[in-house]
Amino acid sequence: MDLAHAQRLVEARSYIAALADSARTVEASSAYEHVLIELDRLHGDESPALSTDGLTTNRDVLFAVANSAVEDLQCYGLDALDIELLLTRLDEAHSLDRP
Amino acid sequence: MYGQNGDRMRTELAALLRQHRVQHRLGSSPSQSPAEREAAGLLILRYRHTVLAWCAEAVMAAKPLVFSTALPAPANPFRASNEDGAAVSELARALHVARDASTAGQATLEMLNSPSDNGVVEHWRNVANAAALAEHDTNGSAAGALTAAQAEALVGDVAAITQALVMLDHRYSNTPGWEKLADRARLGWAALATALDVSLGQPDYSVDQTGWRPRTKILRGPARPGVLGVLQAEHNLLVHLRSFPNAMNLRLLVDSQRQVSNSLAPMAERINGEYAARWVARGTTYALIQQQLRNIGGRLGHGGPAVAEAANATARVRALKPDTIIEPRVLAGFQTLFDRIDHRIADIVEDGIDRGAFVERIKIPRLGTDTKHLIVPTEEKFVPVTRASDLDVVQTLREQLRPPPPDPGPASPGRSRAELHTAILHRPSNRGANPDVHRL
Repeated sequence: MDLAHAQRLVEARSYIAALADSARTVEASSAYEHVLIELDRLHGDESPALSTDGLTTNRDVLFAVANSAVEDLQCYGLDALDIELLLTRLDEAHSLDRP
Repeated sequence: MYGQNGDRMRTELAALLRQHRVQHRLGSSPSQSPAEREAAGLLILRYRHTVLAWCAEAVMAAKPLVFSTALPAPANPFRASNEDGAAVSELARALHVARDASTAGQATLEMLNSPSDNGVVEHWRNVANAAALAEHDTNGSAAGALTAAQAEALVGDVAAITQALVMLDHRYSNTPGWEKLADRARLGWAALATALDVSLGQPDYSVDQTGWRPRTKILRGPARPGVLGVLQAEHNLLVHLRSFPNAMNLRLLVDSQRQVSNSLAPMAERINGEYAARWVARGTTYALIQQQLRNIGGRLGHGGPAVAEAANATARVRALKPDTIIEPRVLAGFQTLFDRIDHRIADIVEDGIDRGAFVERIKIPRLGTDTKHLIVPTEEKFVPVTRASDLDVVQTLREQLRPPPPDPGPASPGRSRAELHTAILHRPSNRGANPDVHRL
């Protein structure tokens, strides 16, 4: 894993973790957590540490940047179908988080 | 478990002690031929030998931990105070003499497991059966785990059972072919002295909770309906947690426990507010652990079956109606399972970190927008994680998740002990009303 990949992965992980922490319900938080675990599984659990310090608490903004970060991972050799499935799960989690 | 087997021995012996005119009970027919009584007597002797063997072994296992309160400490500091002269030593010696002198031999497995039509023989069979099973509870490795106070309780039980055997030996002495206990009087007095000596201390009846337990098994079969299905999945999850999960599966397990606790808490509130509050706190703790485990990785271990049961539990708890009423007994079952799962998960994380199965993820440099420098280097403390307690997750596990050991208070001696002591002192008071006594 090169540095650029690792940095983008850290961003994706951090945004999804922030979404999980700020979710309105336990179900939505759990759904985001499962997306995060799936992302780690795609990387063989060799992901760098995440940090949610200083991130916005606006869930829509977080969702948009998380989506973008996950999409970008396709540039670093991840399977396109895996990315699509991940994005679908992220979208489902976000729909659970809507008021 | 010793509690069950000891209780059974005492209950059956109390029933035997309340039986008078034994010779009339030993025959199966009104004729009561001597040969029939002799056969029953020989069988009883074998059962008694089994009980004597357990008594002798149990007292030897407990003896090193029983220190006489009656005898002064020996002047020679290199001599133990529980050697010659102590009541428990005398009881051990007398029991060995009685056992070695008995020519009947131990009851065979078939004898122990074949019910008898005769009520007296059946009581003896039950006593011997319980004594044979109690060997698992008091000998070998189980003896190594006894505390001094538990050993006192065990010796007190052996003394009471020995007294019962002595009294029954006297009562059965007219049975054809009966073999009296060797040195019966000394055995009786030694048992009495030991019981008195032990009662001067503070016996710990938590000994009842020690001993062999059957291995917990998975609840197979289709999912139980309603909340029982959740209970079934949680039970199976606990059983599967014997195997070590990898870090990702551990995160899935933690997530499932968070969801189950949070979902069950509102349902428990109507029945037991204390449990509901504890489960809300448990859900919050698991949420914190979940956050802290995100930066823990590790591919050693498996845990697939446990994750499958966790998924079952989560799916079933989601399928419950919000107004589901949970019985107090089921609530208590959940609480017991939650406590054990919490302990196990705490053990898994601590052991995993100690043996290197779980490792902390590294931080990488990142681009900064709020400093003069473009690259923000990571803040390294250069303190290696050599101890599990250095990690936040371990602090959380120790301080919040791992439930404090319950304070059971002094264990109760139980009803059967009191019943056996009453039966030892029992004598028919109203001769006319007692069916065991001759009517004129």
